[in-house]
Amino acid sequence: MTFRGLSNRPWRDRALAAPVAWIPPEGDVPARWLTVSEWHGRIGAWQRYLIDTPNLSGRWRLYEPDPVEFSAALIAIWERGDHVILPADNQPETLRSLSNMGVALGQTAPTSESEHESSRPLVSQPPQWSSRPLPGIAVSLYTSGSSGEPQRLDKRFDQLDAELATQASLWPLEANLIVSQVSHQHIYGLLFSILRPLCESSPFAAQPCRYPETLRTWLQSCQNEGLRMILVSAPPALSRLPETPGWAPVSAALDTIYSSGAPLSRDASDQVYACLETPVHEVYGSSETGGIGWRVQQRGSTWTPFPDVEVDQDADSRLWLRSRHLESPDQWQRQADLIMLMDEGFELLGRADRIVKIGGKRVSLTAMDRALAELPGVERAQTLTLQRRDLRLAAVIQLDPEALPHDHSQHRETVKQLRRALAARFEMPVLPRYWRFVSRWPTNAQGKLSADIRQRLFQDLDDRRAPRWLGEFADEDGWHVMLEVPERCVYFDGHFDDHPVLPGITLVHWAMQQARRLFALKADFAGLERLRFPQPLLPGDRFELTLLHRKDASDHGEAGESLRIDCDSRRGKHVSGRVALVIRQEGGEIVDVE
Amino acid sequence: MATTALEHELKEMIIETLELEDVTPDDIDPEEPLFVEGLGLDSIDALELGLALQKRYGITLESEAESSRQHFANLKSLAALVESRRQK
Repeated sequence: MTFRGLSNRPWRDRALAAPVAWIPPEGDVPARWLTVSEWHGRIGAWQRYLIDTPNLSGRWRLYEPDPVEFSAALIAIWERGDHVILPADNQPETLRSLSNMGVALGQTAPTSESEHESSRPLVSQPPQWSSRPLPGIAVSLYTSGSSGEPQRLDKRFDQLDAELATQASLWPLEANLIVSQVSHQHIYGLLFSILRPLCESSPFAAQPCRYPETLRTWLQSCQNEGLRMILVSAPPALSRLPETPGWAPVSAALDTIYSSGAPLSRDASDQVYACLETPVHEVYGSSETGGIGWRVQQRGSTWTPFPDVEVDQDADSRLWLRSRHLESPDQWQRQADLIMLMDEGFELLGRADRIVKIGGKRVSLTAMDRALAELPGVERAQTLTLQRRDLRLAAVIQLDPEALPHDHSQHRETVKQLRRALAARFEMPVLPRYWRFVSRWPTNAQGKLSADIRQRLFQDLDDRRAPRWLGEFADEDGWHVMLEVPERCVYFDGHFDDHPVLPGITLVHWAMQQARRLFALKADFAGLERLRFPQPLLPGDRFELTLLHRKDASDHGEAGESLRIDCDSRRGKHVSGRVALVIRQEGGEIVDVE
Repeated sequence: MATTALEHELKEMIIETLELEDVTPDDIDPEEPLFVEGLGLDSIDALELGLALQKRYGITLESEAESSRQHFANLKSLAALVESRRQK
């Protein structure tokens, strides 16, 4: 397959019967192809939609998880010569901060009364190709904010094309099927799962592949159809790949695995290799820099720079880059990462030292993290400053499950021991004051402990009504959210002064809040149903909320939805049962349990 | 171990002022040292506490570090200081 850059508009003149996207099998319905002709119909539909949507700014804010609709919308915007902005996610906070950046398209929860929840055209129609030039900026993306507030980054077509051409020459797709487990709202997913297939005329899966069970079914289907799959993945998915049932019967259909967003641990890399018999190609880079280098850990930990990327190091071991993927292709640019140049490639040594001042004393957070990670029971540690409490450090500590504190006194004891161990090397005022003990490293979908995750971990400091959030994950039982009862929680007020307990109704309220965020609930609390509160929670208790959202249960006649709530701690059950939900009426009053 | 009303008030003031998120009034033993080995407070906390005492009880501490340290030894001594010198 030949490569044609985006500047040549490779979407226009493909054979109309050629496959663009693979619609995966569902139940008894086998997989099928979406053709160029059908896809062009979607581009035409979006073009019509954009014409009919008032927008004086020429800017469009696109959040669309469906790869076919996303690619069609992107091309429709480019063909108009307009500016496309890709929000990193569709969290209310993200959307609010971008609300003045053009008109929202795709799956965007409403940020104001006038915006709709889904802005997507229905009727396909032939596309219109005009001679209008492509916009100067191909896309504006946002960084994941792993080192501060999310930043906007503009990418020109020549930057993207340089990177896409490099990858096409290094790893040609050769008409294999691209299956993605990452979001194309970020640079890595955008390049690997959408733009590369466009430029190399390779098909991509019409849906994202979120779960390992889906991956297995799709691999089986590929095997039956004689297709080979290229998996675009990331550490959160790869490091949680179940070993059983074995992958051997289907792994032959897998051609290549890519991973990016954060380094994959050597253990996880080996485990994936053992399960899927396919090495993971890790790509190192960032939204700012684009791709810098790659490696396959079974061949060594050294990173090989991409062919058109020049890498150097200075006296402080800081990485310097010159590349056509950067905004200024001729300039050397210093980066925040530390490297060591090797005969072939480079080793990544981590981020440059993070120095902060606490109470007038300089402290290296890098050194603090290292010291914490060496302590018994500590699997991973990261210290940080909190925006509103820059006088004091906070720490996120992943502990051995055996070492996790489950109540107030265990928590105090754990903190005491960690502080005592650190006191040998650091002065008292710089020791972390706020501690969050987690059982698995809390990250966003890109595998980063990003600014919004940090905010969630410490939200209870600023909001006395919030529980202490310590991470979450989903499985077939629903969402599991790890929480602690903050000692200074406002809901204890007015209860028995000597023996404060958390009212059961507060737990239901917290469960509703978490459910609204996790399931984007549009329904409201309608009533308790078979809800039991066997025993109360105490200040400092660590507990797990298990939430399962059901749409079908319709005991209440009209539009029935329900939320199954279970709350467990080391001491036993605290809540179990169901909450009935009703769809919120337009302009209706929002009922809540306070 | 009976805690006086003033001692309880001071415990809550310490927790609030210093934003000790995981400390409850019961965790503060009136006889135990507030600083370093006991509750684990430090020099920045000492400044914060001094400020809070001034605001709440109108107490001005001497600039001499030694006498301040005696007052801040534990909750009992802090209560004694407030008892004898409060303006509000």
